[in-house]
Amino acid sequence: MQTDKVLAEIKDIMVERLKFQPSRLPDLSLATVLPKDIEGSLGLDSLDFIELSIGIEERFGFVIDETQDLAPHFHTLGTLAEYIKSRLV
Amino acid sequence: MVMLGLRVAVRMTSTIEDVAPRWYSHPYNRANFYRLAAALTWVPRRLRLALARHIGRLAPSLMPSERAAIQTAMTRFTGATGSQLDALTVRVFTDFAMCFSDLVSTNRQPAALRSAHLDHVEGIERLASLSGGLISLTAHVGNWELAGRLLAGRSARPTHVVVAPDEARELERWVRRDGEGVRFVSRSRPTVSLELLAALRRGEVVGVQGDRALGTKGDVEVPFFGRPARFPLGPFLLSSGIGVPLLPAFCLLDAQYRYVVKIAEPFIAARGEEEAAARTWVAALEAIVRQYPTQWFNFFDIWEPFAR
Repeated sequence: MQTDKVLAEIKDIMVERLKFQPSRLPDLSLATVLPKDIEGSLGLDSLDFIELSIGIEERFGFVIDETQDLAPHFHTLGTLAEYIKSRLV
Repeated sequence: MVMLGLRVAVRMTSTIEDVAPRWYSHPYNRANFYRLAAALTWVPRRLRLALARHIGRLAPSLMPSERAAIQTAMTRFTGATGSQLDALTVRVFTDFAMCFSDLVSTNRQPAALRSAHLDHVEGIERLASLSGGLISLTAHVGNWELAGRLLAGRSARPTHVVVAPDEARELERWVRRDGEGVRFVSRSRPTVSLELLAALRRGEVVGVQGDRALGTKGDVEVPFFGRPARFPLGPFLLSSGIGVPLLPAFCLLDAQYRYVVKIAEPFIAARGEEEAAARTWVAALEAIVRQYPTQWFNFFDIWEPFAR
């Protein structure tokens, strides 16, 4: 799956599960930072990350159960798209 | 930070607004106080607890705001008034002093020595019946930290205990030590929930305290002793997200100064029914507090935690 396709799926999840406003979708890019407390980020809190990760599991059909730190994968939409692609291989 | 209107559906139902990043603070929960208590570790436990009770009896007069908060709580929990209310209020401080003394001494002993102070576990079969990941839900009642360590030993699964960021940083040396299957996880980063979900997916245990609101839209209002109070919704979203059970567990000091662990009926939060699951939890908490009102160790107004 190509990166732009994965990104589109992530945006769908954000609208469906995080109630992200569809009108703001054009603002999002691969460089968009996700966690709160970072300047310019989307401001996702811990509960948002629960919703996002479960949405990804359901949409892409794999389980996120790694022992290593997952935070770097969920830092930006770009890193998240790359992580998802790596899990789909 | 650019907030773009992200809110999950369940939290859209709440009218709670973000008000403060912290629920409560006081000058006592700090390293020097822990160091002083830890210095008494060498004293035989019976004598140490007697000393703790003595200090506890002095505390209400030195801590007027905490005393007022406890009096409010005791009034609502028990209906007591007058001298009976005063006695209950003092008892909260003496019970807390004993549990705190054990927290920095008995809790740190090897498991075999620690278990000598455990009278019995009620509902252990409920833990034994659960396989796979589970969320151990407890509260600031009795010796909650000991409950986590005991359950970690009984479940024979790695246990990730979620703690407030300031506690993790300052108190790690005394009580937040990893080991014996227990790992303390600070919720300082929003991505901590990813770690917890992954651990649950691996069949491990996540221990959380479900009685202190965070002051964010992640809180939900639930009646507690007849009045609305805020409780954190996170444990129930974890449960509903991947279908793991929540297991309420409490560790109480009995009349002989031994501990009793009480494990309540496990339940799973259904998707979209997280607030109902929170009410189930609060009912279990109320039942314990009714039974052990003086081991309620939240020294602030639980119904108005962010009032200044």
